[in-house]
Amino acid sequence: MNEIKLVIADDHELFRKGLAELLRKHDDIKIVKSVANGIEFVEMIKSAMEVDIVLLDITMPKMDGFQVLKELKTLKSNLKPIVISMHSDGNYIAKCAKSGAYGYLLKNTDEDELTLAIRTVYKGKKYFSAEISEKMINYMSNQSVSENILSNKETEVLGLISEGLTTKEIAAKLFVSSRTIETHRANILKKLEVKNTAELIKKAAKIKLI
Amino acid sequence: MNLKTLILIIINGLIALVVAVLSFSFYNQFSKVLNDRILLQLNSIKTLKQIQIENLIKNEWKDFLNNNENHQKIDSTTFKIPDSLSNMEGVYDFTSKHINRKTSIGFVSNSENKTHVKILDYNKIKKILLERTGMGDTGESYLVGEDYRMRSQSRFFPTKTPYTMLVKTEGVINALKGVDGRGAFNDYRGIDVYSVYSLIEISNLKLVILSEIDVSEVTTPLQKLKSRLVALTLGILLLAIILSLFLTRIITNPIKNMQKSLKVMAAGDYNQSNKFIKNSNEIKEMFDALANLKASLQGAVKFSNDIGKMNLNAQYKPKSTHDILGKSLLVMRDKLVEFRNNEQNNRINTKRLLVNGLESERRRLSRELHDGIGPYLTSLKHYIENKVQDEKQKTEMKRIVDDTISEIRLMSNALMPSTIEDFGVGVTLTNFVENLKASTDVTIQYEDLTKHDQTNITNHQGINLFRICQELINNSLKHSNAKNIRITLSEFDEFISLFYFDDGIGFDEKTVKLGSGIINIKERVEICNGKIIINSKAGNTTFEIELPVEL
Repeated sequence: MNEIKLVIADDHELFRKGLAELLRKHDDIKIVKSVANGIEFVEMIKSAMEVDIVLLDITMPKMDGFQVLKELKTLKSNLKPIVISMHSDGNYIAKCAKSGAYGYLLKNTDEDELTLAIRTVYKGKKYFSAEISEKMINYMSNQSVSENILSNKETEVLGLISEGLTTKEIAAKLFVSSRTIETHRANILKKLEVKNTAELIKKAAKIKLI
Repeated sequence: MNLKTLILIIINGLIALVVAVLSFSFYNQFSKVLNDRILLQLNSIKTLKQIQIENLIKNEWKDFLNNNENHQKIDSTTFKIPDSLSNMEGVYDFTSKHINRKTSIGFVSNSENKTHVKILDYNKIKKILLERTGMGDTGESYLVGEDYRMRSQSRFFPTKTPYTMLVKTEGVINALKGVDGRGAFNDYRGIDVYSVYSLIEISNLKLVILSEIDVSEVTTPLQKLKSRLVALTLGILLLAIILSLFLTRIITNPIKNMQKSLKVMAAGDYNQSNKFIKNSNEIKEMFDALANLKASLQGAVKFSNDIGKMNLNAQYKPKSTHDILGKSLLVMRDKLVEFRNNEQNNRINTKRLLVNGLESERRRLSRELHDGIGPYLTSLKHYIENKVQDEKQKTEMKRIVDDTISEIRLMSNALMPSTIEDFGVGVTLTNFVENLKASTDVTIQYEDLTKHDQTNITNHQGINLFRICQELINNSLKHSNAKNIRITLSEFDEFISLFYFDDGIGFDEKTVKLGSGIINIKERVEICNGKIIINSKAGNTTFEIELPVEL
């Protein structure tokens, strides 16, 4: 069985030591190096050292975890990063997943889970615990990214305009200020390249937005 | 001396002077004309009498010469015929020869050795002289002999023998010198008379004829005139005084009113609104000018009042290019506006610094907790995993450390979520609301319409928006009994809009006691140069916050 070559990138020496101490008990995992910041780590990668997995902290001086992930992407490295962070918010998790992290662990993760994650990732699979996955999905479900010409909000406003509601009524309905609706309306007109509401309704109907 | 007295004195002095001069010259002229008239009349009377007497005597004399036969004899009992009669020829005054000194004019003629004598009938003379038509009450004509004794009867002494009266007056003296004339002097009674005199000289007869009239009678109308003139003068003066009093009232009353108004204004009160009688154009204009002055001062006062109350939006238009007061006030206002703006900027800057300091301190503390203590705790956990042999103890210890880490994470997030810098306020609020859901029954819906990776919301704005939401949500949860909270954060090219709604009990912005919550929110909006509109009623409370996009 091959040894898993592991690098720890974290600015806290005590953490690194503790982690190393923890993982030493496992014979299949070998910590080849510990680095204190992103730059050090990238330099290490560039020096063609053979590494399988990095336990990467996000918050580091000089170069943080996100930048490191980005760098790995551009270097097209085979190295599989597992983010190990104090941040438990979905947005961090989602960003890391998007940026190419194979796993996301909280720093107070138990030994068992840690080794499980390392081993899972080493096999080429991704590891996100149920808790982490839920946080990520919750966050992403809140994000309204629209692929259409109009944003989701704008589509909603357009619908209400077509129903004949006034700006004030729409504002009250959507829980925004009148000026927000006015701006939305102006933006919709601009995006659909029309001059007034009548034209807007016509065009919106034509391209089946409403 | 006040204006009224001055005007009175000048006007009445002038009127008195004019009236006096007029009266005096009129009186003089009149008296001169009267004198001339009287003397002229006296003269014509005298001339008439003189001619009559001369004719009488001459005719008598002629008769006497022609009719020697008819001559009466002189009554020797009454006359003391002079001895030298035979040597005499002509007309003589024999009055002194008469025993009773009766006026006697005698004719003496010696022809053919015969002496003829005749005494002229005195009554004939008397008749002429007593004819006093046009002589008034005191006029008379009389004759005086060479001896200054009267020859005709005096009007005033009808019973006295004329001869006994001595008339040595200026007129007689002059007449006897052969000078005809006129004048005013004392007559035989010692009374002032106008007199015209002339000498009658026929043969040896020398008589002075005088026509005289008392000055007092002549001047009676003059006296009347005088008293009338005096009365008139007084009347005019009285009228003048009354008129000038009236006039001065007309002139001085407005001036007095003006004086009163000005005094009141000088005392600093520009709000008096007395109505004045404006009885002439000038006065009216003067009062209009005063009213204008008052209006402009009132304007200035109001304006300075406004300025004093720091109502610096007050407008003032200088009344003219010379309105120094108005201009100074405007300069003052502008300075104050500048000062206030500076002050406000300073205040906002100070507040901004304070808030920024607070936030950076929070951030520091949050980081310290999160990145400083957090890792130590994880290290502790590693240590436990590595070193603690007793499984039960190990599990217990790990649990405690995990709890501590969770707590630290919560604290750190409450102090300053690191997401705000790494992901922006939109995401931070998503997390915040997400985390809250676990601990409250209130439905909180947050809609994030920020631009995420392309956001133009600055970190500073983000922190403040986050704090505002924290505060608002906190208020709603604590005080409003709301069931629903709706938050929308929209980002546009020009502005960022935070809309907050809850269906709680609402509050009155003026009396609300939410600690310094609302004030803090307003301050944060202010230091972000934003605007806030708060509408609150039961079941519908909204906060509209708008911040500019700062590029």
